[in-house]
Amino acid sequence: MDFTFTEDQLAFKEAIGRFLMVEAPPEMLREIWETDEGRSPELRRKMAEQGLTALSVPEEQGGLGMDDVAWSLLTQELGYYAIPDSMADTAYVAAGLLAALPEATPDRNALLERIAEGSIRIAVAHGISPLVADVHMADKVLVHYEGEVHLVSKEALACQRNTSIDSSRRLSRIQFQPDSSSRILGAEAGTSVWAETLNRGVLAVAGQSLGLAQRMLDLSVDYAVQRKQFGKPIGSFQAVKHKMADVAGAIEFAKPVLYRAAYALASGEARADLHVSHAKLACCKAAWLSARHGIQVHGAMGYTWEADLQMFMKRAWALNASWGTREFHQNRIADIVLSDGAPIGPQFTFGD
Amino acid sequence: MKLTFSNEDERFREEIASWLESNLSGEFAHLRFRGGPGDEHAFPEDRKRWEQHLAAGGWTCIGWPESAGGRGASIEQQVIFAEEYARAGAPGRVGHIGEGLAGPTIVEFGTQEQKDKYLPGIRNGTDLWCQGYSEPSAGSDLANIRTRAVRDEASGRWAITGQKVWTSLAHESDWCFVLARTNPESRAHHGLGFFLVNMHQPGVTVQPIEQMTGTSEFNEVFFDEALAEDIVGEPGDGWRIAMTLLGFERGVSTLGQQMQFQNELNDIVKAARANGAAWEPTIRQRIAEAHIGLRLMRYNAMRMLSADSQESGASSLVYKLHWSSWHRNLGALAMDVLGPEAELLAHPPYELTRLQALYLFSRADTIYGGTNQIQRNIIAERGLGMPKETKGR
Repeated sequence: MDFTFTEDQLAFKEAIGRFLMVEAPPEMLREIWETDEGRSPELRRKMAEQGLTALSVPEEQGGLGMDDVAWSLLTQELGYYAIPDSMADTAYVAAGLLAALPEATPDRNALLERIAEGSIRIAVAHGISPLVADVHMADKVLVHYEGEVHLVSKEALACQRNTSIDSSRRLSRIQFQPDSSSRILGAEAGTSVWAETLNRGVLAVAGQSLGLAQRMLDLSVDYAVQRKQFGKPIGSFQAVKHKMADVAGAIEFAKPVLYRAAYALASGEARADLHVSHAKLACCKAAWLSARHGIQVHGAMGYTWEADLQMFMKRAWALNASWGTREFHQNRIADIVLSDGAPIGPQFTFGD
Repeated sequence: MKLTFSNEDERFREEIASWLESNLSGEFAHLRFRGGPGDEHAFPEDRKRWEQHLAAGGWTCIGWPESAGGRGASIEQQVIFAEEYARAGAPGRVGHIGEGLAGPTIVEFGTQEQKDKYLPGIRNGTDLWCQGYSEPSAGSDLANIRTRAVRDEASGRWAITGQKVWTSLAHESDWCFVLARTNPESRAHHGLGFFLVNMHQPGVTVQPIEQMTGTSEFNEVFFDEALAEDIVGEPGDGWRIAMTLLGFERGVSTLGQQMQFQNELNDIVKAARANGAAWEPTIRQRIAEAHIGLRLMRYNAMRMLSADSQESGASSLVYKLHWSSWHRNLGALAMDVLGPEAELLAHPPYELTRLQALYLFSRADTIYGGTNQIQRNIIAERGLGMPKETKGR
């Protein structure tokens, strides 16, 4: 059992982190809020230049051919900087779905090539999320319909746009009338492709949530060190520092769960659902706790529009119910653990 | 022990219920269920008129002694008033700081002249008050007040200079009670005075703070040689008066708040039944827990109020920690009940739904009026007699 990452994976994560720190500071995200589309084509282009869009596209289609494990690191960076763009939907979730289609599927290779070069946005509409991110900007939408995979342009959908509590999010409710011309995979093969796609969507949310948790912890620790009351930094008080310690604990205990799930997905393990749901619960719990303790440590300041904390908090809250509510994931775990012949003995600690 | 209401109480209930029913109509009909915590920005002018209308009906300051212009209502009647007020969906009170805090403080510590001068305006709903305590450097460390009060020897009047922050409803208020340092050499809770300051004067500037809800209920208030109308008590009495006032804050005024909570819980149950979340076992359990928590809060408040003289130690100190944590969790429950729909705004650009406003506003509950950490310190130090954390100076 080895939880270490390759040097390539770590170098990539570090490069992307440094890049986002410079290119997507909070004040810029606030500027993007004010635009109608809520997205910066320039930021998207720069992210593509960094190779983010090519990350998991197969090498045959001009990508880097990396897998879910690499994404488990990169989604944390996307969360840490609260990137508004639904980059992971195109580059991770949609790319994974397209790569899983039979080679001969029309448009498959062309779409993957365009993802790799960063010239296309693809939204993913799975039934578990009634609200689909970034349909308003999408060149194509992959739609789940009774197990089938449909590829449509947004003009073919009835879209109703909505505003979110998180000023960065752009959500649409869509209505879809299937026809045979839009279907690119039937229900028989589609069901397993969608099951895997669902898990990727969940994992992308889990990784981002964990990154958000870390960012809120960092902001809160900084604040607690600078803010003085009773003549001392408030971070010196046990009542405050214990909160930060609890968050650090929650984050560290969520990380291996996320990595285990990414590994299960990358290796096609039969019980990937169990690991993925566990990852979502653990990461969202860490983010929830970090938000809760973060605002408490920031005192009234954390409650203002001006303090950046709210940006990360609201994202964490919004992501909490996307790609399956807590109850959905708890039930998925319960179903597996309570099933006949469930793999819950000592011999199954790391086994599939 | 008697946990029922008398016939006289029930007649009182009918009286207030029918008054609210017939008066929350016409020009006030749109105020039902508006203006509560998180919704304070709704219809301020209409709610000011409502406050005066309420006063004309004799329904403000009912718990004040009759000599102060109140009804001298019993605890039971005040409970009934709070229940019926919330049940009817009557709007959040704009006069609650005057009625619940400023007024009782003036009754307790003010001169007869001050009572005659200030109480009628509160009682009639014409004078609205705000609370000038917190400052940028005096949050949890409230005694670290830097706002100065300087006495002009010729006129005998005090001039206030400094900054207050997180001042709820300052932008709607006519008066502010201000804690300021009368002795520049003093430190901590020594050398403070309790001043009554008219907000409508050139030396007072109010700057709203935009909250993460996108609305503004709190403000920064700047005093630049603003003249204080009066000082309550003597210079140096400020801290003692301020602490007594915080005791009022934990008193009867909490009852109305609990009824508001009950309305919110009802909304959540309604939403859960409508979207099916009510049949989700983990949600059901949390709704039941919320119900239990609210009952506990209610019984505990009644016990505190009815047995005021018997209660000592930690029992009244735990109240804020309990309700703030409960309410924060209620907000989280509301979001979980709504699931992925929870993040959708009511209207662009940033109008929140009632449950979103509950959720976001409840994050402030564990901070204002003494954070949960400070509450735990108070419980440990005053309630349990534990040693104080050493303070740096």
